[in-house]
Amino acid sequence: MIQFYYAYQPIIDFFLLSVGFGYSQQIALRAGVFSIATAGFAAIGAYTVAILVTKSGFPIAASVVLGMVIAGVGGLLLSLPLARLRGAFQAIATLAFVQIVISLLLYAEDFTGGALGVTGIPRVMNTGILLVIVAVVMYVMWSIGRTGLGRIFDALRQEESVAASLGVNIGRYHALAFILSGAVGGLFGGLQSLYVFQIEPHNFGFAFMVNVLTVVILGGRTTLLGPIMGAAIMAILPELARPLAEYRPAVNGVILILVITFLPNGVGDEIVFWFRRRRHAAAAANRAQAKEAKDAVTSS
Amino acid sequence: MLSQQILNGLVTGSVYALFSLGFTLIFGVQKLLNFAHGATFMAGAFIAYYCTISGLPFLLAIGFSMVATGVIAILVDLIAFRSLRKRGNAEFPALVSSIGVDLILVSIAQQVSKTQVLNFPFGTFPVKFYTFMGLRISLLQLVILATVAVLVALLIFYLKKTTFGRQVRAVATNERAAALLGVNAQSVYLQTFFIAGALAGLAGVLIGLLFNSMQFLMGEPYMLRAFVVVVIGGLGSVPGAIVASLMLGVMQSLTVAYLPSGLTDAIIFALLFVVLLIRPNGLFGDANAVAGGTRQ
Repeated sequence: MIQFYYAYQPIIDFFLLSVGFGYSQQIALRAGVFSIATAGFAAIGAYTVAILVTKSGFPIAASVVLGMVIAGVGGLLLSLPLARLRGAFQAIATLAFVQIVISLLLYAEDFTGGALGVTGIPRVMNTGILLVIVAVVMYVMWSIGRTGLGRIFDALRQEESVAASLGVNIGRYHALAFILSGAVGGLFGGLQSLYVFQIEPHNFGFAFMVNVLTVVILGGRTTLLGPIMGAAIMAILPELARPLAEYRPAVNGVILILVITFLPNGVGDEIVFWFRRRRHAAAAANRAQAKEAKDAVTSS
Repeated sequence: MLSQQILNGLVTGSVYALFSLGFTLIFGVQKLLNFAHGATFMAGAFIAYYCTISGLPFLLAIGFSMVATGVIAILVDLIAFRSLRKRGNAEFPALVSSIGVDLILVSIAQQVSKTQVLNFPFGTFPVKFYTFMGLRISLLQLVILATVAVLVALLIFYLKKTTFGRQVRAVATNERAAALLGVNAQSVYLQTFFIAGALAGLAGVLIGLLFNSMQFLMGEPYMLRAFVVVVIGGLGSVPGAIVASLMLGVMQSLTVAYLPSGLTDAIIFALLFVVLLIRPNGLFGDANAVAGGTRQ
């Protein structure tokens, strides 16, 4: 086990970070918001931590929390103009948000180091801490799923007008989804910058956005298992497809098309749905059996 | 100096128009965002480049590249969009699968070009400058302006005056009703995709000539610009896309010339936000429709 851990430690860490970004992306999609803003939130979190830690000697834990809060506030602010938009327009607006964040990072050179980024960030992250934080985020996501909030998000995704007719305040819950997405994205952005030693604006560009989206599409958009499966596939795939290493983006592209066409719910969601169906079928069979037994007793 | 900047901006803007028209056409007809449009644009430049260096006359190379990118766009429709459209509610899935196509095309181009920056060989296009009322304009810029003007006029004629154009607009308004009236929606989709792809391919060649540098990621900034253009002009609106492209081109060259460099992108994308806030349907969009769906 220890041997395995040392051999694959970078992949495991990469997997854990992807799971985190995956949850940030998932919570927005789950509430029916076509946001692809996670890259922007991650950039905000990463730069907040990097600048605070390297330039002002701020305590590391406090700066991670601050990065998370700032990204969450960013999510709230972003949700206000987006309240009027739906579908493709939301996707475009969030894409523009990411571009604005990146170009401001490039512009504010004195502060952010411009295209060179921030270097010399202490590398304090390790698998243990990442694992604990991912577990905490999973717990939060799990509790959201168990409560009315999760049901409201599901209702908003499936049919907004029905949700509205049942008294759901659409704007408020979309804003909440953005805040959660921003906070989780900012948190893992901060963790990433404490892991990679150096960050630059282009780490959070189009490629980042595509990777995060891939994790959620492969895994699934509604269940807790989704991002885990998606991130696991993304982490293991390059190892399996070594001969195709040069064509890795193309392989990812083919997988994206295949999954969205033939497994639109994603691998993780399909697994969960399969178990749910089986449980329901078993429960139905049990009920039928019990009824039969009862009938047999009454008739005899 | 100001008028020179405006002129340069108009030339860049006219290429944006070529690129964005296809994008907005596809959105107008299908209500889907085609993220592979930038890669199609890149493919146009690449195909023309490899045709030229393998000895094909330049005009023939352009023609070949336009047909090839048209076919690529048709493949995008067949591979990425068709089966999703059948299932209904394809907005998000189509965005994802067109990103998939984009990744495939970009990855192939990266391997073909070995991640190098490509330049058309010197003399592919004659380098000539004219001076007119104090403005310097190159032959290439003139040709670009003329080509774009002719193509845009043809496209508008096609959409407004021909049977096919009427079919396109019928399908865009209501696919089911159009199908009931005997319009073959599938063939309309294929033709719009072909036109969109060919225009994007030509835009790629022109940009490749204008800046004489092409690389496998060149489509990405143009696709992001196309988003700005179609939002400002109104998603799905052809005249809107043209006006917004020219505006964007001029604005971009003015901000580059007169404002601190590096702020250009921030300003352009902030403008997109402002437009989304004030007029979510764009300057030429349908004022009665609500941006992207129903709002209670």
